[in-house]
Amino acid sequence: MNIRARLLRWETLLLAMLVVIAGLNIAYSPFYLGVGNIVNLFQLSIEKIIVALIMTLIIICGEIDLSVASVMGLASCVTAWLFQMGWPMPWALVAALAVGGVAGLINGFWTAYVGLPSLAVTLAGLIGYRGVARILVEDRAIGGYPLWFNNLGQQPQFGPLTISIVIFLAMFAIMAVVLHRSALGRLVYVMGNNLQAARYSGVRVRRVKLLLFVASSMIAALAGLLYAARLGSVRGDMAQGFELDVITMVLLGGVSIFGGSGNLLGVGLSILVILNLRNGMGLADITGNTQTSVIGALLILSVLVPNMARMIHTRWKGRET
Amino acid sequence: MKKLLLATAAAAMLALIVPHGAKAQSAVTGGKAVDMVLLPKFLGILPFDQAHQGAEEAAKELANSKKLQYLGPTPENSVAGQIEIVTNAATQGVGAIMISNNSGDQIVPSAKAAKAKGIKVVTWDSPIPSAEGEDVFVAQVDFSETGKIMADMALSILGKDGGKFAILSASPDAANQNAWIDAMKNALKDPKYSKLELQGIVYGNDQSETSYNQALAMVDKFPGMKLIMAPTSVGIVSAAKAMQDEKLCDKIKISGLGVPSEMLAYTKNGCAPQFALWSFVDLGYLSYYTAYALATGAIKAEAGASFKAGRMGNYAITKDPTRKAGLRILMGPFSLYDINNVEAAAK
Repeated sequence: MNIRARLLRWETLLLAMLVVIAGLNIAYSPFYLGVGNIVNLFQLSIEKIIVALIMTLIIICGEIDLSVASVMGLASCVTAWLFQMGWPMPWALVAALAVGGVAGLINGFWTAYVGLPSLAVTLAGLIGYRGVARILVEDRAIGGYPLWFNNLGQQPQFGPLTISIVIFLAMFAIMAVVLHRSALGRLVYVMGNNLQAARYSGVRVRRVKLLLFVASSMIAALAGLLYAARLGSVRGDMAQGFELDVITMVLLGGVSIFGGSGNLLGVGLSILVILNLRNGMGLADITGNTQTSVIGALLILSVLVPNMARMIHTRWKGRET
Repeated sequence: MKKLLLATAAAAMLALIVPHGAKAQSAVTGGKAVDMVLLPKFLGILPFDQAHQGAEEAAKELANSKKLQYLGPTPENSVAGQIEIVTNAATQGVGAIMISNNSGDQIVPSAKAAKAKGIKVVTWDSPIPSAEGEDVFVAQVDFSETGKIMADMALSILGKDGGKFAILSASPDAANQNAWIDAMKNALKDPKYSKLELQGIVYGNDQSETSYNQALAMVDKFPGMKLIMAPTSVGIVSAAKAMQDEKLCDKIKISGLGVPSEMLAYTKNGCAPQFALWSFVDLGYLSYYTAYALATGAIKAEAGASFKAGRMGNYAITKDPTRKAGLRILMGPFSLYDINNVEAAAK
């Protein structure tokens, strides 16, 4: 079976899961199909799914960025801190995006130019950026932002859609073009499949990596600001632990943790599966550890079943020959 | 003359029944079907389970045919989890939601959205600091009294010569924790407590492991510390266990707010000689009555409204003196626990 066929099957499986979940939700809750609920379904996880898009590229490239949630926290804390110091809100936002860019340069430099594993570099980032965020806002909650900023996160701007959802949709389209229709996208796959080969064939490996890490941190910073606008108040623990949810979405989408394979369609479907499952359970009044366990079980199954199937398949083939 | 006397007597009786400045007592009629959600800070913590038990008791008494939903986030996902539950409750169009707020003002947008859909938002245990999106806060005890009782316990444990102590709190922006700590700082200004020296405040985020480690770190951080005051039921147990494990109970005592059944061993072995708490069962019971009365229209969320909360008697809504805005219902009072009564209370 060639890779393409297998990928196709993976997405079919996700689609089937999605249909089953949506069906159950429709059957169970009369509120599920309401426009407000569908908007909320995205809105409640919107920052994570925005970051999941760029994480897809990073993981396909054979790297990982564990620092995204800390960069989200750092960006929101930088904005809160500057705003409290009397900066006008727009400048505080620009500064936070710039800080995100710097975080990305740091991650990218150590990974691409010094050659340290991104797992270690971004793990350090996870701890370090969070530390800076906590130092900035200390033990406070900073709120009281201008109304336009809060509205940006809380009110629909485009029909029933919030600006965050529009950003997500636009970014999905852009990432799809970059990954599947551009030269850069092909480089990402090549690097993920065989970094040495890519290097010897003249690919500017370092530059691509640096670009990806800067993009990742800047998008994370943007997501952090959207999160701050949605909550209207910033604390040092903003978005803590989100990186695992983000990576989970990407892996469930069929992206190999070793790099080189996977696509954005799969990740889009996996996002829909997880969000609809969460929403359905929420509407069925299933929360807390039960909800976490169900999603966990789904992930274990979705990782185990295909791998086991492949193993059995290869063994079977081995017996025949 | 007789008529006048009768009228006066009637007026006097009326005056007795109606608390001054309050409107007439509203009757809370049972038997109505109201969807209600009880939302603790997170699931799996004993005091919140007790509140749930109290709320169920009230639900039974009021013969609400709709099942009470006890929904909460996991500790790792507490902020986003609470927001998600409040948002979903708004989608479902429940009648009332009772929140022990875990996220400071970050809950405000979702609480406001729920309120805009006509849902009554009652907070209990921990209010929304800005009071935005909240109808009324059911306060367990008067916050200034909490400060005084903590100062009293510190003095009674450390003796009249006093000593150094530090506070192990929950999360840095838990409105109730901060109000209590501020109240304690205020109480300490009284010359009576001049020998008590507060060395600092540390946060364990109401997670057992973090609190345990923070308690150990406090021993090094605050030299000469003789007492850890933990105004949180998670913090106090973790601190007591930490001191017991490190065999430091002779030098460092634990006090604060704790649940008798969880504190029994530590009070008996002298690690935590004295602590205080209110009844979480009653708090859940009163919160349910309040939310039910609001959702059924028996009372309005305004200062002066009053109602009879079943076995607990009459309560009135007043302005909340501990916040810049907001309304509250004050439950009270405190129970003090020590070696003499902890065993009975733990049952």
